[in-house]
Amino acid sequence: MREKMKAKMQAKDTFNNALTYISAGLGVLILGSILVFVLSKGLKGLNFDLIKSNYWSENYLATVEESYQTNELNDEHSSAQGYYSTKWGIAIDDTLSAKGEKQLEVTYVSPNSPFAHLLNATAGENFEKPLKMHTGYTIEKIDYMTADGTIGLAGKILAQDAKTTIETLDKASTITSVYFKSAGGGIRGSLIATFYLIVISLTISLPIGIASAIYLKEYAGPTKINSLIRQGIETLTGVPSIVYGLMGITVLFPVTQLVGATTTSILLGGLTMAVILLPTIIRSTEEALLVVPKSLRDASLSLGATQSQTIFKVVLPCCINGILTGVLLGIGRVIGESAALIYTMGTFINDNPTILSQGTSLALMIWSFMSGENPNFELASTISIIILAIVLVLNIIVKLIGKRFAKQFV
Amino acid sequence: MKKFFIALISVLLLVGCGTTPSETTETTTEETVETTESAATGNIFVYTRDSSSGTREAFEKAIGLEELTADAIEVSSNGDMITKVASDVNAIGYASLSTDFSNSGATPINFEGVVPSSETVLDGSYGMQRPFSYVTRASGDFGSDDKEAIIAAFVDFLVNSTEGLQVVQAAGGEVDLSKSTPWAELKKNHPIVDQDNSSLTIVTAGSTSVEKTLTAALEAFQPMAGNVQFTINQTGSSDGHKRTLGEEKDSVNAADIGFASRNFKDEEDVSSALSSGVYCLDAVVAIVNAENTAITDLTAEELAGIYSGEIKSWADLGK
Repeated sequence: MREKMKAKMQAKDTFNNALTYISAGLGVLILGSILVFVLSKGLKGLNFDLIKSNYWSENYLATVEESYQTNELNDEHSSAQGYYSTKWGIAIDDTLSAKGEKQLEVTYVSPNSPFAHLLNATAGENFEKPLKMHTGYTIEKIDYMTADGTIGLAGKILAQDAKTTIETLDKASTITSVYFKSAGGGIRGSLIATFYLIVISLTISLPIGIASAIYLKEYAGPTKINSLIRQGIETLTGVPSIVYGLMGITVLFPVTQLVGATTTSILLGGLTMAVILLPTIIRSTEEALLVVPKSLRDASLSLGATQSQTIFKVVLPCCINGILTGVLLGIGRVIGESAALIYTMGTFINDNPTILSQGTSLALMIWSFMSGENPNFELASTISIIILAIVLVLNIIVKLIGKRFAKQFV
Repeated sequence: MKKFFIALISVLLLVGCGTTPSETTETTTEETVETTESAATGNIFVYTRDSSSGTREAFEKAIGLEELTADAIEVSSNGDMITKVASDVNAIGYASLSTDFSNSGATPINFEGVVPSSETVLDGSYGMQRPFSYVTRASGDFGSDDKEAIIAAFVDFLVNSTEGLQVVQAAGGEVDLSKSTPWAELKKNHPIVDQDNSSLTIVTAGSTSVEKTLTAALEAFQPMAGNVQFTINQTGSSDGHKRTLGEEKDSVNAADIGFASRNFKDEEDVSSALSSGVYCLDAVVAIVNAENTAITDLTAEELAGIYSGEIKSWADLGK
């Protein structure tokens, strides 16, 4: 009888154990498959140029310097990829842009080529200044003239591929104008905007959050009003971020107007994020205050320090670990947030974001081009890798700092 | 026990890694798709766009739909539509003709026996088409004279110039190039383009469908007009008029040029605008999953039947 029961118990135990293993394994499996998906799709797009280049291409319109116009080159073809025009000293190849569109990429420009001696035709400070075609630029359109005076066009806008473009170009005798672009598809602007967003939201929410946590934990008595305040802050955690977004555009927009904002802006996004972060920071600071040993406070008070001195000079420094955890969670939230920011920052990918201009954070940038005509999974995955990497690095840094402070005080 | 589960998890992970690449190779080999004349036989999954979409309006008007089936699944964008239809063999949806369908997993089908193409759209024989319209702010409401002049120049470039129409065409819009004028001539009316305009920003709003053609035109216009800057905030056709002349014209969402992928409605009064009109045509095509090769042509009646919920499965078609 007892044997039977034991066997039954054992079976039950094994089942329970197995359940925990499978559940934990499932979590790992999901994380693993996310990593596999993101890495398999996005890894090949990951390079340093992506981080330092602009999303929008630089658009150039140029004419050819008079002295190079009729230059017969007859250069040897370099080892560059694609089709080469011996007459004009330029090689072009069919490639796909970072945005996933077909393009004519310049793979080689001979130093004597007319394309290395262009004049900027755009009005402004660079008008008629020398301009050079670099490799990696893409040809949009070339206006040319043949020997008998007929005008012709070549390039991507005419739906030509690299081969036809070069063949058409070889018929030309003079080049009237060239419209070309730099590569684009980079995330520099969004990185800067994300950085601004983190700085703005933390500088506002950190002091307020820490101060309210201290009030709630150290000063507040067990009155009804205080429990109402506590309840209110806890409810804030559960409010969907889209509601914060609506609040931001109606309540906080007039605030940003005071400092000169005319549209939705990074400042507005930062203010909204500061509100979203408040409960997170209050809670993690409160939890950190909770674990400071009573003996420390007693020692400080018995040495004649006032309560404020005890809190700010003894208790608070011990909480640095918990506050940093709050900061980390906050930064993670800012990087990952998109719903509230669509309303408050706009969805235009801005290469030169300022605090009062529109811009996109990295997550918003993914949203912005995934909602376009042709969703670009590759670029989205590449940005996801960068977001994951940033979060990982932040995690490690905060852990290291936390460890150093913890040693100092305990 | 522990070791067993760790082993199990790692095996599962490896399987996961192994199948991801092989799946993609299967879908890219077009031969398998072409050789098997596979007809989807299950229930039709109807995909539609959100109610503010100009594409949806154009589609429903063209097929004469009275009431949409309650089973229809709403998607939020053209891109989303392609993704959904490409991942569901029994799906039917619709998208802009300007969408690049190669390798997307969705195929456009004929409408009333007419192949969707530039020629059939421009000569009017392909029925499912819509205009891309634009409207600017009212004259004198741009904040500065320079701004107004640059907007006027851009609209002239977009609508009348050979260069502008070529760019729009390359980006998928259907235009009639024979009626265009070289920019070198039009430019004479717009002396503003010969000065440094890098401090001016053209802000656009309205239809998301116009985004590709509009972006291409703005990018081409930029170096021709003293490096003028632009901000493209496309949210949907209903915002085109609202944010330039309507109730939001002085709000946080204010814009200089609004776009709609339809004609402006009667209640959207454009008479006070500096300029308004149509800059190109776009066609809507019904799309099915690339593996559903049996369906190549549907009439307005059949599409209306599917979208109203009367025709529920692919097998019911043609009965």
